[in-house]
Amino acid sequence: MSSEPIERRVSYIGDRLRGSQCTLCGKEYFRGKDYCGKCGRKSFGKMKDIDFFYEKGKLEVCTLISEPTNKFVKMGPYVYGIVSFHNGKVRVPGRLTDFILEDKELDFHSFEDREVVPRFRRRYAVTRSDIVPTISLAFTVADDYYPHQEYEISKPKKEYETPGIVGYGVYVSKFRIKEGMRERSVPFIDEDAVTAAVEAGKMALIHSGVDHSLIGKVYVGSESNPYAVKPIASKVAQVLKLGGEEKTDGVQSVDAIDTEFACKAATSMFKDAASLVYYPRAHTPYTMTVGADNSQAAPRDELGGELDLFVGYGGSAFIFGMHDVIAELEGWYSCTSDTPDFWRRDREPYPRHGGRFTGEPAYFKHVLMACRKLMEQLNLQISDVDYFVSHQPNIGFPVRVAQELGFKEDQYMPGLQVAKFGNTYSGSSPIGLAAILDRAKPNERIIIVSYGSGAGSDAYSLLTTSQIKEKRRRQKFTIRHQIENKHLEYVDYPTYRRLKHGL
Amino acid sequence: MKRRRPAIIGVGRTKFGEHYESGPEKLVEEAGLRALDSAGVGRKDLDACYFSDYFLQITNKIGIEEGFLSELLELHVPMEKMRSLSSALLNACHGVQSGKYGIVLVGGVEKMTDRWDKIRDDLMLLEDPWSYYAGCTPEANHELLLRGYVKKYGISGEQLEKFNVALAQISVKNHHHAIENEYAQYQRDISVDKVLKERSKACKSLGLYDFAPISDGASALILASPEIAKSYSDTPIQVLGSSSATDYVTFPSREDRTGFVASAMAMRSALKMADIEVGDIQIAELYDQSTLLEMISLEDLGFSKRGKAWLDIYNSCKEYQGFYEIDGKKLFVNRNGGLKADGNPLGATGGAQIFEVAKQLKGEAGNRQVEVNGDPPRFGCVSEFEGFGTKAYIHILGRD
Repeated sequence: MSSEPIERRVSYIGDRLRGSQCTLCGKEYFRGKDYCGKCGRKSFGKMKDIDFFYEKGKLEVCTLISEPTNKFVKMGPYVYGIVSFHNGKVRVPGRLTDFILEDKELDFHSFEDREVVPRFRRRYAVTRSDIVPTISLAFTVADDYYPHQEYEISKPKKEYETPGIVGYGVYVSKFRIKEGMRERSVPFIDEDAVTAAVEAGKMALIHSGVDHSLIGKVYVGSESNPYAVKPIASKVAQVLKLGGEEKTDGVQSVDAIDTEFACKAATSMFKDAASLVYYPRAHTPYTMTVGADNSQAAPRDELGGELDLFVGYGGSAFIFGMHDVIAELEGWYSCTSDTPDFWRRDREPYPRHGGRFTGEPAYFKHVLMACRKLMEQLNLQISDVDYFVSHQPNIGFPVRVAQELGFKEDQYMPGLQVAKFGNTYSGSSPIGLAAILDRAKPNERIIIVSYGSGAGSDAYSLLTTSQIKEKRRRQKFTIRHQIENKHLEYVDYPTYRRLKHGL
Repeated sequence: MKRRRPAIIGVGRTKFGEHYESGPEKLVEEAGLRALDSAGVGRKDLDACYFSDYFLQITNKIGIEEGFLSELLELHVPMEKMRSLSSALLNACHGVQSGKYGIVLVGGVEKMTDRWDKIRDDLMLLEDPWSYYAGCTPEANHELLLRGYVKKYGISGEQLEKFNVALAQISVKNHHHAIENEYAQYQRDISVDKVLKERSKACKSLGLYDFAPISDGASALILASPEIAKSYSDTPIQVLGSSSATDYVTFPSREDRTGFVASAMAMRSALKMADIEVGDIQIAELYDQSTLLEMISLEDLGFSKRGKAWLDIYNSCKEYQGFYEIDGKKLFVNRNGGLKADGNPLGATGGAQIFEVAKQLKGEAGNRQVEVNGDPPRFGCVSEFEGFGTKAYIHILGRD
């Protein structure tokens, strides 16, 4: 059993690897300290907060843990060692994550002296009723799948009249399962919807260059929150230090909320996020919308197991604001009907769906309507649109809907990512949007139409600005990087189920 | 100024290993009675008790051990609970030196197998929580220290092979010593090949035969003031030096991660207190929680030069004669089999180490008795840790 106060304190320090630095002598500590041991009394009030969350460390020495202690057994063998930051000013214990080491001859000492980057992950296994413990004392090698990216906060250069996307980030794990032509992303065993939400938010901050303390509200849409009651958004806000921080209380001056509407939980909030930054009295310069899912599906031989062929894992985050916008939000249209095409009852681990009805009266009706109404509203022709992306539960649906609307391959193919990542639920159409933003030129129009079972669609029209190109250099972890990566690891079906089930 | 030197007038212990049928009460009773008998004192002569265990609260749901001991002894004298027997002995010495107590019982027990399935998780209480959260195991820091050591001294290639063999020889040697120790958990020989094979099976630099086992057991001793000691024994074993030092619980944040600062500091002050040189010590019981720790201790305590202990061991073990030969001097190390073969019931371990040195100094060690120039050794030292070098205790024992 984990105790609530301990979990709160551990996650406050460990999730972000918080530390302090003496401004007099420069000595650094992992964990907060009010004074410096070297400078003594005179250093009171002279300690500066630092954290190692965006830093790069060095794995000094390591060993293989082939027999972990009880709570770590499910993790399987892993490499553990000492990570130093700032040339040895601070040393922390660390676990290398994202390696499946079973039945493999591994020269683990080859990891020594290599650069490593902190990852936000689950700490160890607990019982289903316990608080889910997390930590960033989990690292990946900097020259592996996840590159190290600096977080440079930059002053905004230009204010726009229309709110829009200021930055975005997509986080998909290193693991894939390949069946036929289809590839799908698979979480590592210590990942879940919460860790993907935080990592995606981190990527979005890095890409936008926005000061994290200026984000006034964060929305997290997911249908695979490990908790029935407890928001993911609070974790995202605290780990990413969104809004100003009241340090003495350990509280962030930010509004954080979880939203749920099957796969449109995140996209639904785009308009709210954009509206909020537009409203002057809100005093909210930026908002963040995250969609993340460890998409659930029953095992193949069970009821609802068909979904197991399509589900993926990942998250996306979009920051909205009025400054340094890369894509302005031109307009939107949303529609809803009570169509129970896909559902998961309380306390049921896996969702079920209405079979063939999920297409015709559900997906197609809402997506087509939302898109047509939006284009009508904005008086757009098919030729006015450069890119079209819709929700991607499989390959067939989005292709058919695009063709029915009259879009051509070069309009809808760039956003079609389901063949690489699977259906990432709340992250699905946003990941498609991110793939388009990764390549779009200034002054191009993108239409995104999400779909959430239950059912409803949101259609948005976005117009890229000249700043889209200059911000691109800030993001190394692009969709293409995540698809064409030599470090991808392919797993078999039993491993996929084990990893997906998690700790 | 001549210090008041407390004396050990009796020692007792149980066999270490798995005591499936005996609870901690039985074990404590057995060790305690043996110590009282060997000293020739009765329980009513005791002025105080210092008791040690790490995990009785967890393994046997005994929270206030003093009360448990009071019930067992039917005594109401002052009692204190420590973690390690060395710590209990150190505090008992303070009590005797201050003149407050005349005869003190020092004892320790551990019942680790009562929580067989969870004990490795419990052992993480000896490390810091952050290392635990990051996935540390009871063995991991030993291997990190080894890596740090090997890198610091640039040991590689053929040298590294020798180094690995030297560590294996420690285990082999300790197992060999334990054959003559009727209390030892493992009384059987092993081979260097076997140690190496276990390492390669685990794909690691240290394997099953490099680490001390999980054990149950108890140990006890009777400490007396110098005046009282005279009336009980003609040859009391004096505690010439007793000292401890402390280091950060978080191993990664320590300044030196290739040795134990606390160990070196405790040894220096114990030697000063005993007023002898390190070279005067003829027998040592070192804390070989892993083979590596026995090697590192040789350096920390000043027997071997920094970076050279493994060579001293390697050369001494080519044709092992029962002792290490360091710079032409003989040093008997872990004659009881060490933690590796004698067993390591944490709270009682230090007692078994003291037991061994006291017996050797008295010349009562039977088949495993060592001799220096035909006599039993005169000076011996015991090194014990709490945690991974977080606390280090040194006791120097001697006879007139």
